[in-house]
Amino acid sequence: MTVPIVSDPVGGVDPSPDSRADDPELTRLRARVAQLEREHRRAFEQAQREADVLFAQYQLSQLVATAATPSELSRSVVIELVRLAGAESGALWLADAGGDGLTLVAATGPINQTLPERLADLDAARRLTAADPARELVVLGDEPPATVLVLTAPPGRTLDRDGLRIAQLARHELAVAFVGARLGAALDREREELRSVVAGATDAIVQVDEARRVVRLNPAAERLLGVDDTAIGRTCDEVLGCAVAGGHGEDHCPLAEVLASGQSIAYRETALRGGEGESIQVAGGYSRAPMTPGGPIRATAILRDVSAVRALEQLREGFVATVSHELRTPLALVRGYAESILHLELAPDQEREYVDRIHQVTSRLGDLVDQILDVTHLDADPLILERAPVAFASLVARCRGDLALSGEDSRLVVDLADDLPPIDVDSARIGRVLENLVGNALKYAPAGSPVKIGASVSDGWLWATVDDEGVGVPEEERGLVLEPFHRAWNVRESRIPGTGLGLYICRRLVEAHGGRLSLGERPNGAPGTRASFSMPILAGARLQAAELRGHRSVGPPRG
Amino acid sequence: MRLSSATRPETASAVSHDPIAAAAPPPLVDAARLRAGIRRAARAVDRHAAALTRLDAVLGDGDHGDNLATGFRAVLELLDELPAETPPGDLLRAVGHRLVATVGGASGPLYGTACIEAGFHAGDVAVLDPPLVAGMLEAAAAGLARRGRCAVGDKTILDTLRPAADALGAALAGGASPAAAQWAAIEAGRRGMRSTAGMIARRGLALRLGERSIGHRDPGAVSCLVLLLALAER
Repeated sequence: MTVPIVSDPVGGVDPSPDSRADDPELTRLRARVAQLEREHRRAFEQAQREADVLFAQYQLSQLVATAATPSELSRSVVIELVRLAGAESGALWLADAGGDGLTLVAATGPINQTLPERLADLDAARRLTAADPARELVVLGDEPPATVLVLTAPPGRTLDRDGLRIAQLARHELAVAFVGARLGAALDREREELRSVVAGATDAIVQVDEARRVVRLNPAAERLLGVDDTAIGRTCDEVLGCAVAGGHGEDHCPLAEVLASGQSIAYRETALRGGEGESIQVAGGYSRAPMTPGGPIRATAILRDVSAVRALEQLREGFVATVSHELRTPLALVRGYAESILHLELAPDQEREYVDRIHQVTSRLGDLVDQILDVTHLDADPLILERAPVAFASLVARCRGDLALSGEDSRLVVDLADDLPPIDVDSARIGRVLENLVGNALKYAPAGSPVKIGASVSDGWLWATVDDEGVGVPEEERGLVLEPFHRAWNVRESRIPGTGLGLYICRRLVEAHGGRLSLGERPNGAPGTRASFSMPILAGARLQAAELRGHRSVGPPRG
Repeated sequence: MRLSSATRPETASAVSHDPIAAAAPPPLVDAARLRAGIRRAARAVDRHAAALTRLDAVLGDGDHGDNLATGFRAVLELLDELPAETPPGDLLRAVGHRLVATVGGASGPLYGTACIEAGFHAGDVAVLDPPLVAGMLEAAAAGLARRGRCAVGDKTILDTLRPAADALGAALAGGASPAAAQWAAIEAGRRGMRSTAGMIARRGLALRLGERSIGHRDPGAVSCLVLLLALAER
C-alpha cells in the first residue's frame, strides 16, 4: 500500500534547495522525521497484519461452528486452512472412531503424489511430511484421537507462517468440532434408524401428550385407524374411538391410566374404531416416559389388531369340538367291538367279523388323522406351492395308475383334447385334488358306473370336470360340503364312510392356486354330480389357448 | 464514489453511448457530497435489507441485509457526530471503523477495511478528484482482498468490487469522462455481481455448501453493487 501515513508537508514533498539546506539541525530533524515515519508505517502494518489474523480466525471459527456434517466440516476446514497457509494443496485425515488409525476424509488442490487412504498412526503422518520439505503437518487436537492435516507449499514457496499459526491456535476448537460433528452424525443415524423402525413397524404405535392429544402416529396406526397426519393434535378419544367401539368405558382409557400412574401396562385388550367405523379388537402394551429427562411427558401405546386372531381362535374351538366328535364315534365303535371280543364268548366267524370291523374303523380313523393333519397344514401357514408346467393329461394318467391297484381304473372315462395347454400348478397338490374328487365319484356312485373326466379352456384357466352317476349333492348343501367336517345329509346317514374334510381340502388347494372348486349338476339333466375346478394355464400358453378357443366349441362347464 | 468532470471536461464525449455524459458535469467530491453519498447508501441498504437477507439465507447464515442495515444506521449517527469540516479521507476511515464495530458477520470487517483503505488513500485532501477516487476504489479492493484472503471468482464482494475498480481506472486512463468512467465501473461491477451465480463459493460460510452454492448470487456481491450504485454521483 502506498498510503501516505503521515500527511504533508512532513513527507518531504518539497525537496527544493533551501537556503538552510546545510543546517545540521534541520538535517537531523529531517532524519528523525523519516525514522518516525518508518516506525509509524511498521506499526501500522503490524496492526494491519494482526487484524488480518484476527479476521481469519473469526472466519475459521464461523465455518467450524456452522458446518453440519463431518464431511462438510472436513471439506471446509481443508479449503480454509489451505487458503490461510497459502498452500497449494491440503489433505485431512480423521482418526477412526475406534482409535484405530486415520482415514483420508478430504483433499483439495493438486496433490503430486498419491496420498494414502489410511494412516496407521501419527508417526505415519509424520513420515509422510518428513519425506517432502514442501509439506507441513498440522495436528488438530490432542492425540489420540488425532486429526491431521497435511499442507503442501506451492513450488518454490513456503507456507504462510501467520496462516499456520492460526491453524495451531484453532487446533483444539477444530478437534472439538470434529468430535461434535461425528457425534452429531452418529445421533442422526441412530435417530433415522429408530424412525425407520417405528415407521416400518407392523404394530400401530400411537403417542399422546399429557392431555391425551395425539403427538405421533406411525403408518401402521394410520392404516389401522384410517386416519392421516391430521389426527395429530386431536384427542385419543376422537382418533382411536375406544369408547365408541366398546373398547372401554369413558373412565378406563389405558393411556390415561399410564399417564396418571406412571406404571406401564404390559398387556391389555381393548377395541378401537377402524377406518370404516368398524370395531377392531386390539391388544398391546402402554407405557409412559419423558422423551428427555425433564422433557414433556408422553404415553405410548403399541397395539396389534387381534381381530383375525380372535376369529381364528373361534374357528379352532369349533374345529376341536368337531374333531373330537369325529374321533369319538369310531373310537366308541372300536372299543365296543374290542370289549365284545374280550368279554363275550364269540363264535370264531363272528369274532373275525368284529376284528374286520375294527380294521375298517381304524383305517377310517387313519384317513381322518391324515386329513386333519392336512387341514392343520393348510391353516397353519400360507401354502407354499411348488409350481411347474405340467399337462393335465399326465395328472389324469397318474390318477388312473393309482386306481389300477384296486382295479377301479376301468370305471374311468377320460375325454381330453390333445391340444390342452399346459397348466402352471403344484402337480402333487392338484393330483391330490383330482384323486379326491375321483375317489368321491367312485365312492358315491353305484358300483361299476363310469366316472368321466373332462377339461376345457376358459379365460386363461383350464376347467377340469369329474362327472359321476351317484346320488348327487342336494342343491342347498353344495356350498356347505366345501366347509370342513360337513357331509351332505343324503350321505351322512349312509354307511359310506367319510370324514367331511376331503372336499374342504380340495377347495383350499384349488384356491391356493387362485382357482375355484364347485359342485353341481351334470349337463343335460343327467343324474349324478359334476365337480369342476379351475387351474391356471401356463402364462406363455394363454394366448395360444385363446386362439384355440376361437376354433373349438369347448366352453366353460356349467356349475 | 463521486467523480468530477471538472478536471477533464474535454473527454466528456469520449464514450458515445454514455447516457450520463450529456448531463451537467458533476462538481468535485467534497466532504458534503461524500456525506450525501453515504446517506444514500444507508437508505439503499435499508431498502434492500430483506432481499439481501433472503439471499444470505441460502448461502450463509441469513443475516447479511439486517447486519448491514444495523451498521449503516450506526454510520448515520456517526455522520451527525463528526464535525462538518472533517475531510473525506478521515470521514471514510471513521465510517470504516464504525462498520467493523457494528456490522455482524464477516461483511463488517470487509466493508470496514475497504472504507478504511480508501480513506487512507484519500489522505487529508479536502476535495477528491477522479484519479484519486479511482485510486481509492483500487485501495478498497486490494485491502478487502487481503483481509478476506479472497480472489476474483471466489464468489465474494470482490467479484463486484474488483472489476468495478479496474474499469474505473482503465476508463479514466483511456480518457473517458468521469461520468462515463463511473458508468463503466458500475456496469463492470454489475457483470461481476451477476457472474457470482455460476460460481462455487470458496470463501465464507457458503464454502461448506460446495457445488450446491451454484445458481445463487452471492449476497456480498449484490450488496456491494447496491452500495456502488448509491455512492455513484448522479
